[in-house]
Amino acid sequence: MPDNDMDLISASGIRKSFGGVEVLHGVDLYLASGEVLALLGENGAGKSTLVKIIAGDYTPDHGTIAISGAQYSKFDPIIARDAGIRMIFQELSDAPTLTVAENIAMGGWESSGGFISWKKIRARAIRALELLGVDLDLERRVGSLRIGERQIVEIARALSEKAKVLIFDEPTAALSSAETERLFSVVRNLRVQNVGMVYITHRLDEVARIADRVQVLRDGDLALLADAKKVSRAELVSAMIGHDASDVSHPTDRPTLGEKILHATNITLDETYENVDFEVRAGEVVALYGKVGSGTAEVAETIFGLHPEFTGSIELNSRKYAPKDPISAITDSVGFLPADRQRLGAFMVRPVAENLGVPSWPRYSKSGVLTVKPEEQAYMTWTDRLKIKSRKDPRQKIATLSGGNQQKVLLARWFEGNSRLLVLIEPTRGVDVGARRDIYETLRKSAKEHKIAILITTSDHEEVIQVADCAIVMAKGKQVGVFKGNQITIESLISAAS
Amino acid sequence: MAKTITDDDKVGATDLQQRKGRSVPELAALLLFLVGLIIYFSFASEYFLDVENGINILTALSVAGILAVPGTMLLIAGQVDLSIASAAAFAGTILGVYAAKTSMGLSITAALFVGVIVGLINGFFVTKVQVNSLITTLGTLAILRGLCYIVGGGQTIMVDDFTFLGLDRPFLNLPTSVVVFTVIAVVGIFVMKYTTFGRSLYVIGANPAASRLVGIRNSRVIVISFVLSGLATALAGLVLTSQLSAAAPMAATGLELSVITAIVLGGASLNGGRGTVSGTIIGLMIIGVLNNGLVLLNVNTFWQDVARGTLLIIAVSFDQFRERWAAKRK
Repeated sequence: MPDNDMDLISASGIRKSFGGVEVLHGVDLYLASGEVLALLGENGAGKSTLVKIIAGDYTPDHGTIAISGAQYSKFDPIIARDAGIRMIFQELSDAPTLTVAENIAMGGWESSGGFISWKKIRARAIRALELLGVDLDLERRVGSLRIGERQIVEIARALSEKAKVLIFDEPTAALSSAETERLFSVVRNLRVQNVGMVYITHRLDEVARIADRVQVLRDGDLALLADAKKVSRAELVSAMIGHDASDVSHPTDRPTLGEKILHATNITLDETYENVDFEVRAGEVVALYGKVGSGTAEVAETIFGLHPEFTGSIELNSRKYAPKDPISAITDSVGFLPADRQRLGAFMVRPVAENLGVPSWPRYSKSGVLTVKPEEQAYMTWTDRLKIKSRKDPRQKIATLSGGNQQKVLLARWFEGNSRLLVLIEPTRGVDVGARRDIYETLRKSAKEHKIAILITTSDHEEVIQVADCAIVMAKGKQVGVFKGNQITIESLISAAS
Repeated sequence: MAKTITDDDKVGATDLQQRKGRSVPELAALLLFLVGLIIYFSFASEYFLDVENGINILTALSVAGILAVPGTMLLIAGQVDLSIASAAAFAGTILGVYAAKTSMGLSITAALFVGVIVGLINGFFVTKVQVNSLITTLGTLAILRGLCYIVGGGQTIMVDDFTFLGLDRPFLNLPTSVVVFTVIAVVGIFVMKYTTFGRSLYVIGANPAASRLVGIRNSRVIVISFVLSGLATALAGLVLTSQLSAAAPMAATGLELSVITAIVLGGASLNGGRGTVSGTIIGLMIIGVLNNGLVLLNVNTFWQDVARGTLLIIAVSFDQFRERWAAKRK
C-alpha cells in the first residue's frame, strides 16, 4: 500500500522535536480511501504528535506530507481542513447550547438570498445523519445528548463538510458498550462513503473489530505495521511495550486476607441498583464488574457517601456505617477515585504536590497552619514508588502530565491520606498499557503490604482478571454473580453479565 | 528513551489549560512595571519622589486595599463580590445614623455587624441557593445602595469626632487606614500561603466538584470568605467616613471596579485557582502611582479612568500573548 500516488494520506519521514527532545524519529503514515488505520502506542509514543502534524496543528521538522497525491511544502490547519482532514476530539468541541442541526451546519451556514436558510441547513443535517445511519432529533440541544450522540454530531458535521479523512482520538474512552457499537456502525458507514480514518485507541480488542491495518508506535518510532485482522493481541502488546508479555493473566500472589473492612448487606438505591451484597477484606482487591449503566459506579459512590438515601446496611470495620457525604467517608479513612479525572478528579491548574496532598492537609496542619513542605516531600516519595513520569518538580502543574501519570498522582493522594479502604471507579480509563500495569501492580502491592481494602468498579473484563481477587458481576442494577480467584475468567464474567 | 515530559500525548491536558484562560502575569514583570512608573514620574514631576507624597499614595489606596485582600481570596475561589462598594457606603451610613444617637463604640459595632450580615447573605445565596456570585452580589450592590439613601434619608450625615481611622497618624506618621490596610495585607498573604483555609480557596477555585470529593467543605469556606469580605467592607466604610468626617449615600460609587481591576492586574484568574495577595498589592500600587502621578502632571482626572482601563486591557492581553507564544514553542 505505501508509495502509491493515490494514497489519501502519504506522510513520510516525519520528525518532530519539542524543546530539543525528538519525539518522532522519522515516522511514515499511509492511509487509503475507505480504510481504517488503528494507531496504537503507549502515552508518549508520539501518536498524538503524529496525528496533529497530519491535521496541520504542528509543523514537522522533517518529512513530507501528500494528500491525494498532492505534495505540500507548507502545511497548516487551514490547508489540512481544505484538504478534508478533520479531527474528532476526545474532548468534544461542539456548541452545547445549540441544536443538533445548528451544530452540524456550523462553519458552513447555508444561505439563500443573503439570509440563512434553515431549510437547507436541516436538509444538510438530515443527509449527513442518514449517511451515518443514525437517527437524531435535529432540534435537540446538543448539551442534552449523551456523549456518544454528541460525538456522532461532530462526525456528521465533518461529513457534511465533505471530510475525506477523519482522525479519532480514543473515541470510545467515554462510551458505553451500546454507544460503542453504534460508533462502530457509523465507522463502517463512513468506510462505504470512502472516508479514510485514523483511529487512536488503547483498547486492543477494538483493533481487529474495526481496523483494516494497525500501526504501532513506540518512543517515536514505528514498532509494528500489520494487517489488523491477522495480528495477535500478544504481538500488539509486545510491539507497544517493547518486550513480550503474556497480556491477560491472573495476579500470581494470593493475599492473606485480613479482617473484614467493608461489608454491604442488601443495599439498594431506588431505580439504580438493588440488593447488592459483598464484603472487602484487608489486603483484598474486589472488582464490581458490569457494563456502563449496570449500577456498579453508583454502588461505589454510595460507599463514598454520594448517595446517602440508599437503604440496607453497611458495616465499616465492623461498625455501622451510613456515609452522608464525602467528608464523613474520608473521616472514616475511605478514599475515592472518580471516573472522570478531568472534571471530578484533578485540579488541573494546580501543582502536582497539591493535587496529591489535599486529603492529608488535616494531618499536615497544626491549628489550621499549613505549609507546602510535607506535600512536596510526599510527592517526591510517591513519584518514585509509583513510577510517575514527570519533571520531579512538585510545583509542576498536573495538567502537564499524561493521563496515566495524572491517575497515579490521584491514587497516591489516598495512599498518602492513609486510607484503609479505596473505592476506585474505572481506575484505568484513558490510561495507556504501561501505566495500567503500574497501577495494577501498585494496587496489588499496597493491598498486600499495607493491608488496604480495595474496591474497584470496571467495565473491562481484562482489568478484573488482572487485578481482582474477587469479582462481583452486576447487570441492570442486580448482582448476578460472584467469582473468586481462578474462577474469574473472560467466559465466566461475560456470560454472567449478559 | 524514557520521556520525562509526557504532555504531548494528551490533547485534553493542554486544551484544558488554554481553555482555563489567562494565567498569572509574572509578578516580576508587574513589579518591573511599577518601578518603571515610579522612575518615570520621579523625573516627570519634582513633587513625586517625596515621603509625604508616598503617604498620600498609600492613603489613597488604603480603602481599595482593605477591600481587595478578601476580594482576591474570593476571586481565587472563583467568586466575585460586586457589593463591596455599596456595602462600605451602607456601613458608613449606619455609623452616621447611630453616631448621632448613641456612643461611637456602639455605632462602630453596629457597622461591623452589618458588614458580617451582608457577607452572610451573599454567602448564603451563593452556596445554599447556588445563585452565581456575580448575580447575587450585583443584586446586593443595588439593594445596599438603595438602603444608603433610605436609611440615611438621602442626606450626607456629618460624623464629627471620628478622626481616628481616617485622619489621625498614630504610628510612624502613617494614617491609621494605611496601618489597617498593611495589617490586612500581611494577614492575607499569610492566610493564602500558610493556612488550610487559604489553600482550600485555591483548590475550590481550581475545581469545586473535585474539591468536595477530597474532603474540602466548599460551602463553609466560601461563606467564611464572603463574611470576611463583608467585614472588610464595613471597615472600609468606617475609614471612608472618618476620612471625610461624613457618611454620604453615594460614597465609594464604582470602587468595586477599581478593586477588581487591581486584583486581575495582580494576576488572579477569573476562572479561579490562581492569584496571590502580593500580586493584588502590586496591582493596587500600580493604579495608585498612576493616579497620583497623573494628578501631579496636571492631567485631567477623567483621563485617570482611561489610563486605568487601558492598563488593565494591555496587561491582560500581554499575558495572553505570552501564553500563546509559550504554547506554540512547546
